[in-house]
Amino acid sequence: MQISKIGWKTVQFFLAIVFILLSWWIFALLLETPAFPPPLEAFTSFFKSMQGDMLLHLRISFYRVAASLLMAAVLGIPAGLFLGKNPHIDQYISPVIYLTYPIPKVVFLPVLLILLGIGDLSKVVLIALIVFYQILVTTRDAARNLQTEYIVSVKSLGANSLELYRHVYLPGCLPAILTSLRLGLGTALAVLFLTETYATSKGIGYFIMYSWSSMAYDKMFAGIIAMGLMGFLLYIFLDGCERYLCSWLNP
Amino acid sequence: MTYLDIESLQVDYRQKNKKHNVLFDVNLQLPQGEIGVIIGPSGCGKSTLLNVLANLNQDYQGRVNINGQLPIEHKGTALILQDYGLLPWKNVWNNIKLGLDIRKVSKEDSKMRNQAILNKMRIADLKKRYPAQLSGGQKQRVAIARSLVLEPELLLMDEPFSSLDALNREEMQDILLHLWQETNLTILLITHNIEEAVFLGQKIFVMSACPGTIIKTFDNDIAGDYSSRGKVEFLEMCNTLRSYLRKEN
Ligand SMILES: Nc1ncnc2c1ncn2[C@@H]1O[C@H](COP(=O)(O)OP(=O)(O)O)[C@@H](O)[C@H]1O
Ligand SMILES: [Mg+2]
Repeated sequence: MQISKIGWKTVQFFLAIVFILLSWWIFALLLETPAFPPPLEAFTSFFKSMQGDMLLHLRISFYRVAASLLMAAVLGIPAGLFLGKNPHIDQYISPVIYLTYPIPKVVFLPVLLILLGIGDLSKVVLIALIVFYQILVTTRDAARNLQTEYIVSVKSLGANSLELYRHVYLPGCLPAILTSLRLGLGTALAVLFLTETYATSKGIGYFIMYSWSSMAYDKMFAGIIAMGLMGFLLYIFLDGCERYLCSWLNP
Repeated sequence: MTYLDIESLQVDYRQKNKKHNVLFDVNLQLPQGEIGVIIGPSGCGKSTLLNVLANLNQDYQGRVNINGQLPIEHKGTALILQDYGLLPWKNVWNNIKLGLDIRKVSKEDSKMRNQAILNKMRIADLKKRYPAQLSGGQKQRVAIARSLVLEPELLLMDEPFSSLDALNREEMQDILLHLWQETNLTILLITHNIEEAVFLGQKIFVMSACPGTIIKTFDNDIAGDYSSRGKVEFLEMCNTLRSYLRKEN
């Protein structure tokens, strides 16, 4: 039963890859432009570029995304749990979040460049700021909506605040937190690309745009693949975290 | 000796500056080692009363004493909620161990006590399962195990068997009776079920609504006898209680 389930998953996965490559190939044939090479050419260029300086750019981009996601999680999760657990404090903070949430935080990029310089810090802070909001709001709402029976029953066992966070709030909100991280990852990569196309000479975003402007389309496409694979690997990592940490959801 | 002693208890809930009187002049005495049953219409404040005893609500007026201590001082109280309150993200073993972890019981000791209670409640083969994988009766056993592993003196149960079918319900009543006979637990239990009240309650407290108060206390001699169900005295006591409840509601 278990084995055939895994086997079926693998087949589905394999079929999806075939479908994507096939569509890609057909598109490339129809478009007939060096800016959109067919899969084989693109991957050849990808592996060639990986041996060159693209790897360096990729490493820097990975660092920026990972650092900003980590920063957003470390700040957003505790703050969200705290506000969800303490509605009498949240009632003062909530309007502030409500008013600032819809502001597209990317517009602060110039400000951050001036304040924090053109190095990694301004990029990391900008991405973290955007993802922080998503994590904060999702975590807070999850904590707020936790069933009171869980809290009451653990309280009646003599738990203090810290034990309530540990045994009830954090594990109870973890599925929501991981969902917000996965959504945040997509946002983070998009913002990363944007920040790397401006005032920097490092990162996979820079590599893509530089290759484009120098008409090295094979390299440009190698960069696009690299960016896609990075997102994919991070996504798989978060998925694995969920499967490991929230195994109780699908016992 | 009066173990549980409640005198002129009053509880108000504040809702938008308006006071809502839930419990008024509640008086209740229960001797050590007895089973008391509270029966009354829903919304009359039965859960509120248990919350005060379990120290989940300190905002009350009147005198509440458990073995000479205030609820906040008394450490040997266990509460089992209506919907069990098991944590879906912990398996049976860890749900039961939770109270021991919170009380910082040593690893070896808690392992031993956990296993013992699992065996006693006959749920040892369920220990790796999560609450979502359990039937109502099994969840109830786990909830009882989680309370009893802490070796409480006073067990409070909020409509514990209300969601079980008739057979499971009678089985759980028998199990509870058995556990009670083995220990010298004092039990205060809420129910909607007249037969349950008569089967378990040596003292039966009848509550009325708005504001909730205890209007009658029955001393029930036939409680705690496995063979009482279906006997003439049992049915008579049920009828007495039933007609009393009808009159009041
Ligand atoms: N936290 C609360 N805040 C305000 N009102 C409450 C709260 N809890 C219960 N009540 C009200 O108090 C009354 C008694 O509730 P409860 O003790 O749960 O009744 P019972 O358990 O007998 O059904 C109900 O009218 C209920 O609406
Ligand atoms: Mg109730």
